[in-house]
Amino acid sequence: MKIAPTKRIFKVLFLSILFISCSSDLDFDQLKDLKLEPVIVANLAYFDVAANKFVDNGMEQQIPFDIQNFDVFKDQYFRDNLAKAEFNFELENTINRAFTLNVLILNDNNQILQTIRLAIPAYSGTSNVVKYPTEVFENQRLDLLKQSTKIGFVVIMAPGPPLNENSVGSLKLRSSATAYMVIQ
Amino acid sequence: MRKVYLILMLAFQLTVFAQNKEVLYNFTAIPQSSLVNPGADVSYKFYFGVPVLSGISANLGSSSFSAYDLFAKNGVDFNDKVRNIVNNSSSKDKAQANQQLEIFSGGFRVGGKDSQSYVSFGVYQEFDFLAYVPKDEAILALDGNRDHIGESFNLGDINLRAEVLSVFHVGYHKKLNEKLVLGGRAKIYSSGANATSTKNSGYIYTGQMAGTPNLYTQIISSNLELKTSGIAAFTKDEYDGSIPKDVVHNTFFNGSLGLGFDAGLTYYIKENLQLTASVVDLGFIRQSKDIQTLTYKGEYKYDGVNPNFDSTNQPKNVFDEFDKAIPRDTLYNKYTTWRPTKFYSSIQYSFGESRSDDECNCKGKVTRKYVNAVGAQLFAMSMPVEPFVALTAFYKRNIFEKLDFKATYTVDQYSDKNIGLGLSGTLGKLNMYLLVNNVLEYKDVSKANSIAFQFGFNFVFQNSED
Repeated sequence: MKIAPTKRIFKVLFLSILFISCSSDLDFDQLKDLKLEPVIVANLAYFDVAANKFVDNGMEQQIPFDIQNFDVFKDQYFRDNLAKAEFNFELENTINRAFTLNVLILNDNNQILQTIRLAIPAYSGTSNVVKYPTEVFENQRLDLLKQSTKIGFVVIMAPGPPLNENSVGSLKLRSSATAYMVIQ
Repeated sequence: MRKVYLILMLAFQLTVFAQNKEVLYNFTAIPQSSLVNPGADVSYKFYFGVPVLSGISANLGSSSFSAYDLFAKNGVDFNDKVRNIVNNSSSKDKAQANQQLEIFSGGFRVGGKDSQSYVSFGVYQEFDFLAYVPKDEAILALDGNRDHIGESFNLGDINLRAEVLSVFHVGYHKKLNEKLVLGGRAKIYSSGANATSTKNSGYIYTGQMAGTPNLYTQIISSNLELKTSGIAAFTKDEYDGSIPKDVVHNTFFNGSLGLGFDAGLTYYIKENLQLTASVVDLGFIRQSKDIQTLTYKGEYKYDGVNPNFDSTNQPKNVFDEFDKAIPRDTLYNKYTTWRPTKFYSSIQYSFGESRSDDECNCKGKVTRKYVNAVGAQLFAMSMPVEPFVALTAFYKRNIFEKLDFKATYTVDQYSDKNIGLGLSGTLGKLNMYLLVNNVLEYKDVSKANSIAFQFGFNFVFQNSED
C-alpha cells in the first residue's frame, strides 16, 4: 500500500509538468524579417601635390592624370546589398592658382561613366578649403557607379601668375565614401 | 502546436545553464548522483539503468535574452527586438546548452555482504555548446561604423565552443568508516566533433586623427582562429553522407580520445552534519581526427585609392592587398581542449528522526535515519571568460520510505529565483527520478532564461532484497 501514493505523486508530477508548462505564442517566421542596415564609412582617396610638381625644368606644366583601380564592386555581395552611396570631397589649395579636379568614374573599358567636377579658387593668403556638396548615388546613378572598376583623377590648373621651382603651397584632396547597406 | 514551439525553442534558444545539477547533487537516493560526486554516500547491492532511459538531462540557458524576447508575436518589429537584445547584452553574456544521455549504466558492490565498496560504470553521450554574445560584431552588423567613429570593435568578442562526445567511465567508492566516503571515477572521452574559437583577438577601428592626410584612420587587426575536429569532412563538396549518422559513428567509434577524472568525498562531521565535495571532468581531449584550423591573422590599414600623378602608374588592388595582409590559412595541427571542469561542495544538516516503517530494521545495525535535511551547495565551473559560480540552498525530505523529495533555491549570475524540485521514488525495484529546475519559469517557458530537467529509470537492488 505504500506503493500507491508514490505512483500517484509521480503521475501528478509528470502531468503537472506537461500542463503547467505554457509558452507564449512565438513566431519563428520573424527570422525572415531580419534586415541589417549598416552604414559604413571609408576613405575614398587623398593626395597632396606640391606646387613645384607643376614645374618641370623651369617650365610650367599640367600634371598627368592618374587612374586607380577601384574594385569594390567586383564583390557581388557588396553590389547586391548596396542601397545607396555617398561621396564627400574636400579640397584645400595653398597655391596661388585656381584648380579644377575632375574625378572620373570609369568602367573596365576606360569609358567614363560619370564625372565629378570640383573647382577651387587660387590661394590668397586666407584659409582656402572647399567642402563640396555630398555626391549622392541612388537609383540609376547608383547602377552606373556599380559598373565602375576604376577612378581617374585629372587636375587642371587655371591660368594665372606663373609658378617656378620655388613656388610654395600644395593642393590637397581628402575624400570619403559612405555605403548604405540593406541586407535581407 | 505549443509543444512544437517548445521543441523549436529548445533548439533555438541558446542558453546558459552552466551544467549545474544542483537538484541531483547529493540526492543519494538516485544512483546517478555519483556522476556529480563519485564520493556520494550511495549504496546498493547492484543496480543497472534502463538502457537509454536511465539518465536524460538537458540544460538550456541564455543570460541576456529569452526566446520570448526574440520571437514573441507581439507586433514589435523583429529588427527592433534584435537591436534591444544586442543593446542589453554584454560580451560576457552567453548562451549555453548541454545535453546528456546515458546509454547504459550500472554498479555493484564488491567484496562480501558487509563490504561498503562499490563499483559503477557506464557510457553516456554528451553535447556541449557555449557561445558568448559577439556584441561588437553585432553592433557593426546592425549599425556599421559611421556612428562609431573613434571606437574599436573587438574581434575577441567572437568566442564559442561546441562538442559532441561520448564518455566511458568506471568509478569506485568506498565507505571507509562511519564518517568518511571516498570515491573516484576515471573517464575516457571520445569526441566526435569539436569546434573551438575561444582565443580570438584583434579589432576593427575607424578613427579621425588630426594631422593625418586621410579623412579616416582605418585599421583591421585580426587574430582569429577556428579549430575544428571531426567537421572538416562535412564541408567538402564531394561529401555526400549523412552528417548526423557520421557524427554519431565518430562519437562512439572513431573519436578523438581524451582522459579525465572525477573525485569526491562525503564526510560526516557529526551524525547529522555532513560535508561533501567533488571535482568532475578534470580532463582533456587530444583533438586528432579530421582536424582543421582556420586562421585570419594580420593587420590591414585602408588608405583609399590614392593617385600619385607619376607618369608610371602602379595601380593597386584593394582586395588583393587585404588578402595579402590578412590571409586565410588552413593548418592541420592536433590540438588539446580542456573539458569544462566542475566543482561542487555541500554542507547538510539533518533533523527529525524517521518513524521507521520498519519492515527490516532488524539487521542488528541501528543507524538513525533522518527525514529532513537542509543545507547549502556551492557550484563552480571553468569557462573561457570567467568561471561560473552558483550558490544553492536546499531542503530534502524523505516522504515515504521509498520516496524522496528535494527542493533547491539557486542564485547565480543569471537568475536569483531559480527554484528546483526533484523527486525520486522506488516502485518495487524500479527507481524513477525527475528533477526540474527553474520551475517558476514553466508558467511561460518562452520567457525563461534557463531551463534544465533530468529524468531516468534504474533497477536498484538493495541488501534487503537478498
